[in-house]
Amino acid sequence: MPLDLIETAPLPIPRTISAASARGVVKSYRTGDTEVRALDGVDIDFAQGAFTAIMGPSGSGKSTLMHSVAGLDDLTEGSVFIGETNLTQLSEKRRTQIRRDEIGFIFQGFNLVPTLTALENITLPLTLAGKQPEKDWLDLIVATVGLADRLNHRPDQLSGGQRQRVAVARALVTRPTVIFADEPTGNLDSKAGNEILQFMRDAVDRMGQTIVMVTHDPAAAAYADRAVFLEDGRIVGELLTPTADSVLEHMKRTGV
Amino acid sequence: MIRLTLRNLNANKIRLALTTFAIVLGVSFVVSSFVLTDGLRQSFGSLSQEIVGTTDLEVRPVSDFGSPKPLDASVEQLIGNVDGVSNAVGQVVSDNIQPIKADGTPVTTAGPPLFGFSWVDDPALSSFTLMDGRAPVAGLEFTIDETSAIDGGFVIGDSYGMITPTGRAELTLVGITRFGEANDTLGAVLTQFPLETARQLFEVEGQFDTVLVRFDSDADPAAVQASIQALLPAGAETLNRTALVDDVNADFDQGIDIINNALLGFAVVALFVSIFIIANTFAIVFGQRTKELALLRAIGASGSQVRKSTMAESFIVGLVASGLGIAGGLGLAAGLTALFDALGAGLPDSPLTLAPRTVVIALIVGVGVTMASAFGPARRASRIAPIAAIQDSVDAPRQTDRRRTITGAGLMGVGLAVGGAGLFGSIDSTPLLLAALAGGAVLVFLGLTLMAATAARPVISLLGLPLRALGTAGRLSTRNATRNPRRTASTAASLMIGLALVTMALVVGESLKQGISETLESSVRADFVSSSNNPITPSVITELGASSAFDAVAGYRYDEVKILDEVRGVIGSDLEATDKLFDLDVTSGALTNRPDTVAVFADEAIEQGLAVGDQINVEFPTGATDTLTVSAIFASNAIIDEDYLISSEGWTDRFGIAFETWAAALVSEDATTTQALTAIASLQEKYPQVTFESQAELQASIAAEIDQMLVAINALLVLAIVIALIGIANTLALSVFERTRELGLLRAVGMTRRQTRRMIRWEAVQVSLFGSVLGIGAGLVFGWGVVTALPDALLTSLSVPVGRISVLVAVCAFSGLLAAALPARRAARLDVLAAINHA
Repeated sequence: MPLDLIETAPLPIPRTISAASARGVVKSYRTGDTEVRALDGVDIDFAQGAFTAIMGPSGSGKSTLMHSVAGLDDLTEGSVFIGETNLTQLSEKRRTQIRRDEIGFIFQGFNLVPTLTALENITLPLTLAGKQPEKDWLDLIVATVGLADRLNHRPDQLSGGQRQRVAVARALVTRPTVIFADEPTGNLDSKAGNEILQFMRDAVDRMGQTIVMVTHDPAAAAYADRAVFLEDGRIVGELLTPTADSVLEHMKRTGV
Repeated sequence: MIRLTLRNLNANKIRLALTTFAIVLGVSFVVSSFVLTDGLRQSFGSLSQEIVGTTDLEVRPVSDFGSPKPLDASVEQLIGNVDGVSNAVGQVVSDNIQPIKADGTPVTTAGPPLFGFSWVDDPALSSFTLMDGRAPVAGLEFTIDETSAIDGGFVIGDSYGMITPTGRAELTLVGITRFGEANDTLGAVLTQFPLETARQLFEVEGQFDTVLVRFDSDADPAAVQASIQALLPAGAETLNRTALVDDVNADFDQGIDIINNALLGFAVVALFVSIFIIANTFAIVFGQRTKELALLRAIGASGSQVRKSTMAESFIVGLVASGLGIAGGLGLAAGLTALFDALGAGLPDSPLTLAPRTVVIALIVGVGVTMASAFGPARRASRIAPIAAIQDSVDAPRQTDRRRTITGAGLMGVGLAVGGAGLFGSIDSTPLLLAALAGGAVLVFLGLTLMAATAARPVISLLGLPLRALGTAGRLSTRNATRNPRRTASTAASLMIGLALVTMALVVGESLKQGISETLESSVRADFVSSSNNPITPSVITELGASSAFDAVAGYRYDEVKILDEVRGVIGSDLEATDKLFDLDVTSGALTNRPDTVAVFADEAIEQGLAVGDQINVEFPTGATDTLTVSAIFASNAIIDEDYLISSEGWTDRFGIAFETWAAALVSEDATTTQALTAIASLQEKYPQVTFESQAELQASIAAEIDQMLVAINALLVLAIVIALIGIANTLALSVFERTRELGLLRAVGMTRRQTRRMIRWEAVQVSLFGSVLGIGAGLVFGWGVVTALPDALLTSLSVPVGRISVLVAVCAFSGLLAAALPARRAARLDVLAAINHA
């Protein structure tokens, strides 16, 4: 790890403002005659420079919450904010720009554009905006995720772990206000998964990056600063500085 | 398996509907062609009966070769005296009788002839029935068919001008007639005159073109025909009623065959282009089902079961498409009938006849083409390994197949060889020649398509360079266009075919224009050349020649003679004037008007071993034989496109009365162009049927004629291009569907809707341009081949209409944008979340 580079990176912003937040978010679907509430009045703040894990069983609404805060999903009620911008009031075009400039995404499986090289995938959000990547920053990210010798490979020439590392690098490249990661290690073996989680941890610690991660794996949640538990579309608890054991303990105790 | 087949079809309805469109179109053209022509044959059959009516026998002049000599006037009397003949009426006919409307403009048609007849005063023999007024009896009076009377505003009692082979005449309209029962003139204009007037106007005095005969009711037709035939001089034949109806039918059939062939031409082009589109669609659809098919294999379905299931799918698609095509064909036939009516073709009302034969052909063609197209993709589908079911194979770029490229190169080589043999070899039979050319072209197209997969990446990368300016969307569009080269190649191939043919037509047309203009400049000294297709009465030449404004005037007439037992075309003219008017490149001897001399084209002279001074025996259509002396050998056949050029001295004795087919004039050195134009203008007052063009005008009107031909050819090819664009839209729609997740990802990481649309659109443009480049390349090679193969007299060098071809490329690129409109919209509107979670 080139530590000298890391030291020249911008200092973390004080962790007093929310990078992203949700206020009174309700999301309901209609299936036949019954109304299903995927999110049922969620209020949550994601502090700047913090790594938050959203946990819960399948169908608890954890992915829906993440997609809603990221502006990918429309709300039935309530508002979501990225920084101080209320996404619910924005046009599709502005929301796309916010996604491009302010948000980083890491998905579970299909993360990369197959026709683009690793480097092109990393810089995609910048080139879509018509911007040039800052060389120092790009070098730092590439070095951090350890992809320097893979930059000209296409996704189908990379292993699953390498692909996810490219995705992490892409999420970091715009220095977004917040990165949303949806089960980022779901398709990886535990070694590759731990690597990815460690990169995310490093990004938070050394670059002051805010990350929100959806996971059902207590071991993954252990890398976070805070774990939030969801059930039936409501927040039912949270743990600060979780460990795999404390998360398991919490889940056993609450039945979540 | 059959249930699965049906389910799959049901699941892919829209995709298959798009695919079948091409087949439906092709089958529609096939069906409409048969429906229309069956209907026409039926109604023309009854029209023929009507036209022949109650005429029992017709006597006509015949000859083995050349124009037959008209019957002598005495024949009518001779036949009339035969036992069993009730009435015999001679008739003269001319196909260049143009009435002038009250406003001073001549009646014109879009192609059908303007016939003049002498009146036959026996209702049983006449094709005409008097509807109003009276029959033309004597002097300068005429009648006209009712449709032409209404269209031209002709009123009984008024006097009208009439342009005839002998010049302009003034005649009074005395009656309106009807041709047959419904005046189905097919657009022709029919006028009738008193016999003596007709003979004067048509310049056939003392002669008949035909004699119509009615028998006594109790006479034995065969016996009477035999006794008439016995009386007739050589060079006359008799046709009984059956033979007459067959004869009229044969004339109509020629016209119907033209319509039939034109529509079948459309069908062939449509179906050929369809093959590529359908093969492509099946390949994509089966490709998208790889996992499903692999799962079937994994749970125990054999490769052949998979193949049968997929082929059964194509069978049903073909069946449905054929059904729709039959319906479409009926509609198209009805539409075309209406169109012909609107254009004033005056076709008889004909029923829409759907013969069982038509249905069978439609099914064979529709199902056959679809199944043939699906064969390759189905075979590939049957070879999917069961392991593919569990592998993640999202659009893994396939490596370009070397074997495919080599096969393609081989096919193209064979195609070029076959086509080349057709162009440059010595294939005498026309059908065989056409088969060689078409077969060669098809092989070249197939070869190019196979090789195009290899060429796609480098070529499109190059074409895509300017798109880098559009940023990521532009770069991605190029990558997408090249990510599956095989698919891109077959999508572009359909466009390539249309463009190759258009380019070839344009190149040949342009080269012809260029060649003709060069010929005109190099070998034409004449200042004026006749421009109408009307025959020119010889007195026009005499009168113009008498004018001091002209140094040389000559008319050119065509007929046939027999030399060394072979029938050959011969041109007659004033050869000394010709020598002044044109540069025939006389290599030995000199052009002279001495009687009994002949000038021979150099190639023919070599072949027959003829030299100046040699004597040859020539048999004329009248049966007379003379010995002519070779007076000159000429080496340029650009103007005189026959091997033998005879002085027109004594022509009438040998060939009968003749009109000039065209004429040329050279202005005297001491006369001005204005004087020449004045002389021509005053001649035209007397002979309005003869018009002259200056060299520049001639060149322009030939160019216009070539362009007109090109328009007709290009209309056919536009169809191919439209089908190709539907193919591009279809492939693109399928690709967008296939890349749903990727599009969702792009949208999630910040691609705007606009950028998404742009990406899809430019992908289409690049595929279109790739097809255009291939097509134009192939078209230039084809064009070069044709131009090189055509005789030097027509063409000297290859000219490429760069402007027109550029426009073509621009149009194709723009059409690519249009084709992409819907897929691009769909891609931009995808719900991001749903797209990312798309399976």
